[in-house]
Amino acid sequence: MIQLFHVFKNFGSNVALRDVDLRIREGEFVFITGPSGAGKTTLLRLIFGAERPVSGHILIDGINLNRISRTKLDLLRRKIGFVFQDFKLLPRKTLFENVALALEVTGERRSFIRKKTHQALRLVGLAEKQTAYPLQISGGEQQRVAIARAIVKDPLILLADEPTGNLDPELTKDIMVLFRSVYMKGTTVVVATHSRDLLEDTEQRTILLNRGRITG
Amino acid sequence: MRFRLWMYFFRQALTSILNNRVFHAIGLSTMVVSLLIFGTFLILFVNLNAWLGGWGQSLTMSVYLKDGTSETKNDEIASLIRKLQGAEIKRFISKEGALRDLRKALGSHAGLLEGMSVNPLPASFEVIFKDGDGQKTDPLKMKNELESIEGVDEVQYSEEWLKRFKGLMNMVRLVGFIIGGLLCMGILFIVTNTIKLTIYSRRGEIEILKLVGATDWFVKAPFLLEGVIQGILSGIVALLALFAGYLLLSAKKMHFLGLAVLDFVFLPNEYVFSILFISVALGLIGSFIAVGRFFDV
Ligand SMILES: Nc1ncnc2c1ncn2[C@@H]1O[C@H](COP(=O)(O)OP(=O)(O)O)[C@@H](O)[C@H]1O
Ligand SMILES: [Mg+2]
Repeated sequence: MIQLFHVFKNFGSNVALRDVDLRIREGEFVFITGPSGAGKTTLLRLIFGAERPVSGHILIDGINLNRISRTKLDLLRRKIGFVFQDFKLLPRKTLFENVALALEVTGERRSFIRKKTHQALRLVGLAEKQTAYPLQISGGEQQRVAIARAIVKDPLILLADEPTGNLDPELTKDIMVLFRSVYMKGTTVVVATHSRDLLEDTEQRTILLNRGRITG
Repeated sequence: MRFRLWMYFFRQALTSILNNRVFHAIGLSTMVVSLLIFGTFLILFVNLNAWLGGWGQSLTMSVYLKDGTSETKNDEIASLIRKLQGAEIKRFISKEGALRDLRKALGSHAGLLEGMSVNPLPASFEVIFKDGDGQKTDPLKMKNELESIEGVDEVQYSEEWLKRFKGLMNMVRLVGFIIGGLLCMGILFIVTNTIKLTIYSRRGEIEILKLVGATDWFVKAPFLLEGVIQGILSGIVALLALFAGYLLLSAKKMHFLGLAVLDFVFLPNEYVFSILFISVALGLIGSFIAVGRFFDV
């Protein structure tokens, strides 16, 4: 599903990724971990096509991102859900509208969009607050809205950047349960985290990044 | 393109207009004012053309006869003149009549004429030409035809006036093009900046739309629609204002250059549609320029 071949990425003199080779199969659940500044966010952004590698190739679902047109990339993004570290919710839209946005761009029917948005909000436990605005809810709830927006389109791949960043252990467990349920439905899930606690009680595949290099 | 997508774009455009109503109100009123200036100029042009053209239409020629034509000969000439396209004999001025007119014109200096033994003035027909259905009288052709009639000595008409009239209208037209061009550029500038401002105010949303897989077209279409709506609205408002102003003015007796003007007409339909078309086109082009660049995400 996700393949990286000898991928290099630098920002000026700052090398973020060095010679990264990686293969993630369809329906896998993978953690990417490593200290802050290791290159986790950069790796996710490359997979998402938000950054281009300096050299090397990235294949998503068999499509080479180096050769993809702008429009094709837009279409590919509809199959990839991304939970951003800073959530990227729109403050002037309700929770419902924020989640529905991911489906509106596909031009789906309104009734279909409404149904799927309700489902996604119910799944993350925020169905009651759908008319609230992002700034009226807690950080943990904002995190779950961001997840709802990423999964509302039933993506092939779900990428999450530090999804439990500053949540207490209880909420962290809830979020991980959520990801597990998405994974159970067949979605390929990639979670980037610097927190070791998250990994302790899992036997999931873990990719260790260190200064832009895969070390385990 | 699917209908519900258009509905979505339309809703987005309306929402954006409402959210940025101050920008839009400013943009709209400047556009309306520009279109009003242009429309007012067009109305003046159309009417000026009709009025001055009207004078040109009732072209008057003086047909001077050779000395010593008989009365039957005069009748013959008169019937030949009447056969000409649009020609109408306004009056016949006999040699005596011409002298009487001259005396009257000279007034207290009429004594100058006392010493004359013979009347040197020719008899003449005053002929008016009215334009037929869509046919303009060609003064030069008429002059030639009149002069070819036997017994006619000379034909005079005021060529100068016609030339000046044409020259004036060409000047007015040129000024119109310049004003119109400048106003169009101004409107384009206004639309482009209004849409740029609304794009700027929604940049967060645009970024997220791109991140969840919106195509460029999907992001741009509502803004293009916004420009078109602005064009339609300002075109309609300007035309309504223009028409209201026209009704107000034409209700009063209009005086122009000291002359009571009888028909003060509104813009013909094709001009009305042109104004609407131009404002919509400018709205579309302006927003097109504004959405030209979208930051890559
Ligand atoms: N947009 C950017 N401009 C400059 N440097 C960047 C940028 N993004 C990431 N970096 C650098 O790349 C390295 C990896 O960053 P990042 O991928 O964010 O690490 P992580 O997510 O593991 O903390 C860091 O040294 C960071 O400073
Ligand atoms: Mg990071």
